[in-house]
Amino acid sequence: MVASFSASQAQALSIFKQPARIINMKDRNLDMLKKDILLTSPFRLLEQDIDTKISEGGFGTVLSRAGVGKTAFLVQLALYNMLQGNNVLHISLSDSVGKVGLRYKELFQNLTKHYNVQQINELWETTLPHRFIMTFRVDSFNVPRIEERLTDITEQGIFHPRMTIIDGLHFDESVRQSLVDLKALAMKHSFHVWFSITTHRHEDRNPDDMPPSLSHVADLFDVALDLQPEGKEIHIRALKSVSETSEHPPLFLDPSTMLIQEKK
Amino acid sequence: MKKDDRKVRNIGISAHIDSGKTTLTERILYYTKRIHAIHDVKGKDGIGATMDSMELEKERGITIASAATYCEWQEHEINIIDTPGHVDFTVEVERSLRVLDGAVLVLCAVGGVQSQSITVDQQMKRYKIPCIAFINKCDRSGANPDRVISQLKSKLGHNAVTTQIPIGLEMNLKGVVDLIAMKAIYFDGENGENVRVESIPESLLAEAAAKREKLIDAASLFSDELTEAILEEREITEDLLADALRVGTLRREITPVFVGSAYKNKGVQPLLDAVTRLLPCPSDVENEALDMDNNESPVILPSDPEKPVVALAFKLEDGPYGQLTYIRVYQGTLAKGSTIVNMRTGKKIKVGRVVRMHADQMEDVAAVSAGYIGALFGVDCASGDTFVSQGLNLTMTSMFVPEPVISLAIAPKDNKSQINMSKALSRFTKEDPTFKTYVDHETNETIIEGMGELHLEVYVERMRREYSADVETGNPRVSYRETITRRAEFDYIHKKQTGGSGQYGRVVGYVEPTDEGDFIFENMITGGAIPTQYISACEKGFKACLAKGPKMEYPVTGVKVVINDGAFHAVDSSDMAFQAAARGAFLQGYAKAKPVIHEPIMKVVVETPTEFQGAVMGLLNQRRGMIVGAQDEGPMCVIEAQVPLAEMFGFSTVLRSSSQGQAQFTMEFALYKLVPQSIADELAEKAAKNKKNAA
Repeated sequence: MVASFSASQAQALSIFKQPARIINMKDRNLDMLKKDILLTSPFRLLEQDIDTKISEGGFGTVLSRAGVGKTAFLVQLALYNMLQGNNVLHISLSDSVGKVGLRYKELFQNLTKHYNVQQINELWETTLPHRFIMTFRVDSFNVPRIEERLTDITEQGIFHPRMTIIDGLHFDESVRQSLVDLKALAMKHSFHVWFSITTHRHEDRNPDDMPPSLSHVADLFDVALDLQPEGKEIHIRALKSVSETSEHPPLFLDPSTMLIQEKK
Repeated sequence: MKKDDRKVRNIGISAHIDSGKTTLTERILYYTKRIHAIHDVKGKDGIGATMDSMELEKERGITIASAATYCEWQEHEINIIDTPGHVDFTVEVERSLRVLDGAVLVLCAVGGVQSQSITVDQQMKRYKIPCIAFINKCDRSGANPDRVISQLKSKLGHNAVTTQIPIGLEMNLKGVVDLIAMKAIYFDGENGENVRVESIPESLLAEAAAKREKLIDAASLFSDELTEAILEEREITEDLLADALRVGTLRREITPVFVGSAYKNKGVQPLLDAVTRLLPCPSDVENEALDMDNNESPVILPSDPEKPVVALAFKLEDGPYGQLTYIRVYQGTLAKGSTIVNMRTGKKIKVGRVVRMHADQMEDVAAVSAGYIGALFGVDCASGDTFVSQGLNLTMTSMFVPEPVISLAIAPKDNKSQINMSKALSRFTKEDPTFKTYVDHETNETIIEGMGELHLEVYVERMRREYSADVETGNPRVSYRETITRRAEFDYIHKKQTGGSGQYGRVVGYVEPTDEGDFIFENMITGGAIPTQYISACEKGFKACLAKGPKMEYPVTGVKVVINDGAFHAVDSSDMAFQAAARGAFLQGYAKAKPVIHEPIMKVVVETPTEFQGAVMGLLNQRRGMIVGAQDEGPMCVIEAQVPLAEMFGFSTVLRSSSQGQAQFTMEFALYKLVPQSIADELAEKAAKNKKNAA
């Protein structure tokens, strides 16, 4: 009969061979909370369709006109990653560290309120160490500089990002070289990068609906999401995606909380 | 007292140690005829400079006390306020910087921009104080004003523009060329009091013309009229250029640079001209007060002498005639005989004597109006208090006083010190709301509490120097706290009924963690299980347990106690019995409620040149710090982190040595957080050891 042991039975038995592990009730409690948020929120859709499909060194971007909610979207993406225990490096070229920190806090509060989470403080404290904010002035931003900073923190074992957000980069004619260098850097340090791109009302879009600021570098990007305000909602539309199915992810941003919501 | 506040300048003179701040102040007072002889800092006459009270400052490189003095120059009234140069005394720094409208940044022509210049500059940036720069010591060998100007640009990020060039350098320094007026200025007479204006020497004409071009170019950004004049190739007048420079200076977008040597009496009078011409008057600056009726929201104060009074007490001094309170009036007029209200205490005060100070001499005045600085006699207040007219509800400083996070035991060395120490402590606690003191009844030690290691160190040092009270200090102690993490029930009977009068009380209920306050007591007893007259005894009993927690004798916070049942005895129950029962009940419940230790976490902000960023992050990381972010600000960068206070001892030394003295940090209390298990074990071990030793 021994031979007919199924794989799952064998796995079940192997548990007994492992040394006893102390289960910390508090940690487990928080873990369950995190899982709860991740499972009930639209994150699973985001994850399936968008985020995890970007491989190391890959680029994603979210586009919209000024003030629609690019940063809010990116911050939520970051929060979901942080809740999963992934480190997120947030590089802002326009806001101060304090302001970026506040955005995280606000969205986190909205998120926990929306999903009725208790123990907000403890959850926040365990989530926070997964974030690192860097700010640069737009004029002093360049890839060697980021690399220097990144080496500072990775070599001393302070922080290893799995995802990086670059908010506020100008996508002008000269941006291509920076992006190519960034890709190499992202490969080297094994993370993927999300950008925000501001579009303008007067811009003519290309036939494939890409705004000119993105079209000249579109080949470098795996995912491009367009935020479009329509009536009281902000729709999320994929201009470019990894899989064919996710052209119209069933998601929108709720303008009152700026939370990503699922279409019913 | 003159009433035109456009002719008032409230300025600070900030500098690195030994760049000649005291000498410059001394010369200013001499030329404005406030003093009639010049005494040098380390003078042979044994008198010393008038404002020189900074022995301790020199040793530590920090200014601790700030004094105010006043002088007149060309019908302008100039108040000079000494500014503390250290970022650690946030309260003190904030106060003295708040009363300034502008500043002169003194730099050494040889040493250039040194680390402390960076500190003071950052403070001014934080409080948005417009400044002009004075490059002193141009007579010294190795003087190079051009290098200092380029450092001003690269190290401090100032848009520094040359407004004067020296005539000769080092030993040959004869005077200065004023690029605004295009004139050469020489200083004759024994003490340089006779200013001689001549045309520019041939040899310097070309350089002067070129530098003036640059100056006009930089100033043209701030004046359309000047730009037009340039485009139309009209002659650019002195006033036109000076006005444009003033606009740029007030916006902090330009820093005019002056040169000279205070010690050799060169260039001080033109600097005074520049103070009156380029630095702001009180009404140029927007001052904010906090509206207490409106959740401390900021209100802009118009510098109008007719409105109700708002004034800030920024400095206290112990004089031979009692307490002297330095005030700055922001709005209204503070007159002798008027009635004002101290916002902190709510007490009404009748203004007795109003004086104007010059170092240690004073002059009686009838009133001090908006924008001016004066002093009051015989007013009982603490430094940082706001005085307002009756009916106003504004305050200049936030009423929020953070709880101290570090404590130190001090003991006087002899009897004389004992008396002086208590005098000093009572003065310091009045001056600084974040500094507290009490006597620990168990050990009989005097404990001082404050916001950081250096904060306490400086007070100990001041006790020694100003009050000649020699004290011995213990090791600094971090204020840990205990709290519980889950609900636990208790059911405790206190019973002593053998011999004499008995004691009986039973208390039933539960304890649970709460975020709403340090201690909440709730009585849910129905049906008189404990008679009402004993309920307050129960509360008292529970409260008594909070001062020293059962786990490690740290104060207990965040506990809610609910009692819902109990029992009493008609004869044997008493207040005492129920207090004892409550104590027993608390211990019982507390032990089951998973008590933990919390430690103070500090928000640490390090400002460092970019090249040391990595090293600084490493330092913070080693100290169990969580780095929140790094902000790039040109040549400097700001790193924000949360670090446990217990790990911050000696950080300033380490930081200095790993950044060539160029990085500095501020630290303020952020929150209490759970101590990691390994550290909690260490603490428990230490506590057990102490207990053993004590026994």
